[in-house]
Amino acid sequence: MKNLVLNGVSRVFSGEDEREVEALFNLDIKFSAGEFVSIIGPTGCGKTTLLRLISGLEPLTSGQILIDDKLVKGLNRACTLVFQQFSLFPWFSVLGNVTFALEMKGIDKSRQHQEASALLKLVGLEGAAKARPYELSGGMQQRVAIARALAYDPEILLMDEPFGALDEKTRHKLQDVLLDIWQEKRKTILFVTHNIDEAVYLADRIVVMAAEPGRVVKDIPITLPRPRNRLSEEFTELHIRIRNLIEIPG
Amino acid sequence: MNRLFRALQGFILPVLFLVVWEVWAVRLDNPALVPRVEAVLGVLFHPFSELIGTGTLAWNTAVSLFRVLFGFTIAVILCVPLGLCMGTSQTVFRLVNPLVELFRPLCPIAWIPFAMAFFGVTRVPQLFGVRYSDTILDSVQVGMVFIIFWGGLFPILLNTIYGVTGVRSLWIETARTLGATRRRIFRNVILPAALPAIMTGLRVGLGISWMVIIAAEMLPGSDSGIGYLIMYSYELAEMQILVASMVVIGLIGLALNRGLELVSLRVSRWQPLER
Repeated sequence: MKNLVLNGVSRVFSGEDEREVEALFNLDIKFSAGEFVSIIGPTGCGKTTLLRLISGLEPLTSGQILIDDKLVKGLNRACTLVFQQFSLFPWFSVLGNVTFALEMKGIDKSRQHQEASALLKLVGLEGAAKARPYELSGGMQQRVAIARALAYDPEILLMDEPFGALDEKTRHKLQDVLLDIWQEKRKTILFVTHNIDEAVYLADRIVVMAAEPGRVVKDIPITLPRPRNRLSEEFTELHIRIRNLIEIPG
Repeated sequence: MNRLFRALQGFILPVLFLVVWEVWAVRLDNPALVPRVEAVLGVLFHPFSELIGTGTLAWNTAVSLFRVLFGFTIAVILCVPLGLCMGTSQTVFRLVNPLVELFRPLCPIAWIPFAMAFFGVTRVPQLFGVRYSDTILDSVQVGMVFIIFWGGLFPILLNTIYGVTGVRSLWIETARTLGATRRRIFRNVILPAALPAIMTGLRVGLGISWMVIIAAEMLPGSDSGIGYLIMYSYELAEMQILVASMVVIGLIGLALNRGLELVSLRVSRWQPLER
């Protein structure tokens, strides 16, 4: 189990007319092992950039990312990233997408099939192993993407609006699937979303961000017992509180 | 019934064309200008009989086909890897692209006189110090291989580059966050993702190679091949052979395209459904 610490992390993009955009400015956040954290904020607050920095896909402009006090350089091997959509490899079958990650992890060929099947079962897709990604609905594709990310067996699972392109019913279903997986595997999950309801339903803790420059405005622990009731008073209260934080520029 | 009719639709115009042709040939009654359909079919249905001292129709077809496959294979072996390098490396692209842009507007046929002057009638076995190998290679002139190579070069190269640069960055980033090495990304992501475009390049390239070999064979100094047969039968006013040769060119071109299309469909099954 690993703790993830961000120390004074900034990311500056230089725009076309030499104008510099501070996508993220001086972030200090600590994520504890096994925590489920939702990151929420308006468009342009740098929440996607934050995940890309943590994963190592993009370099920091300044600051440090530490995992258990060890500095992360280049790609972060402790993480993998689940994108919003269309990230499956269409030339592989569903099973092939999952075994790809197992292979990268160096899992023995003879065990790949069995492990991939187990992961597909975990996300409720045991019958679709031979299907091609384009034959699946958007929700099923995201299940495969999650299974593939789990195959890499990361300490930290980064998710960038993974259910953002799904209809509400499918989204609710997948939220429950994700919570079950989280409870079984005890991974740290950083879950970026723009959906307040989703953030409150899922997380132990919500990091609220604001734009220009991208920064953290509030860090709210969610102590509601699970399974959470979206219609309860406490849930609604939190929802309104977070909405006010996002809408009123801090 | 409906399906049968639809299948037959494709035959209506060709049959009509043949009927008009036949009526025209009979009315004109000049086989040195317009041969009768049955005369052309006669040539086509006897591919192994000797024609006007140039070998058989089958032999000449085989020679042309062999030349094309020879030059085309070289083009594939050189241009696909070069395209992959140019597509993945900015440096290689900047180095090579000016030359590509410079030569691209030159129609491959414009290279024929150059190739004739440069290579003369040198045959491929001679490159290896053998005068006659007693194989079909004796009919493959270096100059012709050169022309075919140029015919295939740009479609293959440009489509390969296009295929590689068009690979969705999301796929590459996904592979990277799953711990894939550059080599694995190349093999398991870039290559399969670019394959449909590469196959398109091969199809277009093979089509052009087939077109230009016919042109190359029509030039002086040529001694066999389907293009040569066309020119020679023209000189002897054997129009049924000329027309039969043209039919063969069309059919072979069609078959080559269909063959690659089948392979292409296999590797790019995911593509149209993906978007």
